[in-house]
Amino acid sequence: MLSYESLLEMFRQNSVGIPLITRKVVLYHTASKIAYIPPLTSLFAKIPILNLIVALLFWKPFFAVLFAPGLVCILIAILFIIWFERKVTARVQWRYGPLEVSRSVGGIIQPMADGMRYFFQEVIVHREAHRPYFLQFPLITFLPVLLPILVIPAGAIYAINTPYSIPVAIALISLIPMIIVAIGWASNSKYAYIGSLREAMMYFSYEVVLIISAMSMVIIYGSANAFSIVDKQSVVPGIVLNPFAALAFFVAIAMATSRFPFEIPEADQEVVFGPFIEYTGIIFGVVMTLAYEKLYLLCMLFSILFLGGWNGPFIPPLGDLSPAFWLFLKTIALMMIFVFFRTFYARYRLDQALKIGWSTLMALAVVALVTGIGLGAVNVTGWL
Amino acid sequence: MKDVNAENIEFLSSGVIAPVKKWGAKWSLWAVHLVTSCCGVELAHAYASGYDAERWGSLNFGMMRQTNLIIVEGTITKKMARALRITWEQMPDPKFVILIGACGIEGGLFWNSYHITRPWKIIPVDYFVPGCPPTPEGLISAIRALQKKIERGEAKTTAEFREADLEKILGKGEKERKPPKPPLKIEPKPEIKIEPREVEWEFGKELVAKLSSKLPFAEVFVIDKNRVYIKSESKFYRKVAEVLEKEGFDHVKSLNVIDVLHEKKFIVECSVSSYSVKELMPVIVTFSVEISRENPRIKSLIDIWPSIDYQEREMHDFFGVWFEGNPWMGNKFLLAPEVETPLRKDFKLEEPSYVLEG
Repeated sequence: MLSYESLLEMFRQNSVGIPLITRKVVLYHTASKIAYIPPLTSLFAKIPILNLIVALLFWKPFFAVLFAPGLVCILIAILFIIWFERKVTARVQWRYGPLEVSRSVGGIIQPMADGMRYFFQEVIVHREAHRPYFLQFPLITFLPVLLPILVIPAGAIYAINTPYSIPVAIALISLIPMIIVAIGWASNSKYAYIGSLREAMMYFSYEVVLIISAMSMVIIYGSANAFSIVDKQSVVPGIVLNPFAALAFFVAIAMATSRFPFEIPEADQEVVFGPFIEYTGIIFGVVMTLAYEKLYLLCMLFSILFLGGWNGPFIPPLGDLSPAFWLFLKTIALMMIFVFFRTFYARYRLDQALKIGWSTLMALAVVALVTGIGLGAVNVTGWL
Repeated sequence: MKDVNAENIEFLSSGVIAPVKKWGAKWSLWAVHLVTSCCGVELAHAYASGYDAERWGSLNFGMMRQTNLIIVEGTITKKMARALRITWEQMPDPKFVILIGACGIEGGLFWNSYHITRPWKIIPVDYFVPGCPPTPEGLISAIRALQKKIERGEAKTTAEFREADLEKILGKGEKERKPPKPPLKIEPKPEIKIEPREVEWEFGKELVAKLSSKLPFAEVFVIDKNRVYIKSESKFYRKVAEVLEKEGFDHVKSLNVIDVLHEKKFIVECSVSSYSVKELMPVIVTFSVEISRENPRIKSLIDIWPSIDYQEREMHDFFGVWFEGNPWMGNKFLLAPEVETPLRKDFKLEEPSYVLEG
């Protein structure tokens, strides 16, 4: 039976340890007395209901999905990366980019202003739309975005520790194109239809490569558990062991998240945002960030598979957040590389992208798989 | 009963969260640009590296569903007015309009054109930027003025000009501008002249002599090399056709109707040629008759040349000429059922109704 106390105890036993917030900071320790700063959560420890809510917020599975590496981190990453995308494009074109909204910090709150504008704009549902689906699908997109967070750990902060974390995460991320196609169908407009068709075509071209290159790394490490994968990269990161897989996975990410030069489903000069053309206001804000959310998830997978995940020097003030911080840093750096492509790449045609996906990239993925099987057979991570 | 919608709008525009809303709209003026004329170059200039209007958070987009500002660049024709109105109607609230260029204000260069509309009669405009074309600074100052308008809620001009007494300077009052008269001159009775011409064509002379002997009631003459023309009265239309068919002219090149409005008549022209007789192959013989414009009826030639069927039906559609004997008369061949005789010269075009005033 779950009682109030047992629930509270369950949450507290598996809570995130952050100095000053959930853990006391010891100033000095002598034989007779201890001087310490009590954690912030102890303020609510005696208040009923509120202490349960606070304990729930810092319960590891809940914290993982809601804060780091979950929703809040995604929000920060998106706000930063959209600003960075506009700014870096502007700098390459010898412009300033967003600036005057907050001059002292280079206009970094520009995406927030855009978000506020979207939030208060009118939402138009056109007559031809399948009304319930048209309004529901943008909200359903949060499912395949947040569910992979359950199985992708960030160091000590994790929700589910399973030996199948990488395949499960990839399977859940692969659901996102389904929802984009469904969005295009629910819009019931010819331009949205073209966009959905392009999205489906791109899905065919990258998905096999993405899975093969990820699996070749799983073969090398001999495990699909994210914890053991990161453990085995403590000396040599995966990108050195199997650069072919890294390259194939990298290009597949660019295809999957419609980054340049594969920005085909949403090409705004050709099919004005493709599947999302009919969306307005805050719902457009939700669907527009979908590609960035997917980019965040796949970059996180990339850093776990190839860049040593949350490996990094421990930062004492952050406590349990330290590995999550390193993972977040690597993810953001990767995302910055991906959005930087916008400034200097042209766009491939759909048939060219399909051709690349099924010829060059597929060959690269097969080479990566062969390399992976070879290195896995000699157990390279065992004697490194 | 309380109006919930009006209350909500009131709350959004002056409630607790109104400053946030205004701040968002102010710094995120994404422009959809209707490049209808040369001012589009100045817009490109304003957003490019020299001036960079993106510094104020304004981003140049090509679609209306996800943006909140229309920049109308220059001339709006009656056809384009529809596109402009649709763009404005499809844009979600709150939305703003900036109009740049002299053409958008009072027509500019095209002030007396038959096909120009005033964009401010089609959609409500927040700011005008005069100039032909205006400078990028002008466009950017309009964006800044719009930001201030969003913040304060009141429109204000960005430049104050001194007033000058034109009568003192020029000496006399400004004349009223009148469009110049069109240089069109209509001849009282324009004729369709078809005259014989002297060409070196031996076979033509033989042919004309032969046809003249068989068609004593008609005028037969050569109008060019390999071209023979036969004029006759409308009652001999079939007779001419029968004679030509016997001579070896086995197919119809074209059937044509000319509307002569001021003489209240139609001229029916039929050109025939031959595939079977070698000498006649390059020759085209045209025979024409005149029929009344009121209740135009003429005998069909469908039993002589079956290939004339479609052309007769076409002419029936366009001019309303009734070809007696053609079984398809009375049915529309090419046109929609509601369209009647569109190629007659007195056909009235429908006035475009998509220019919505106000």
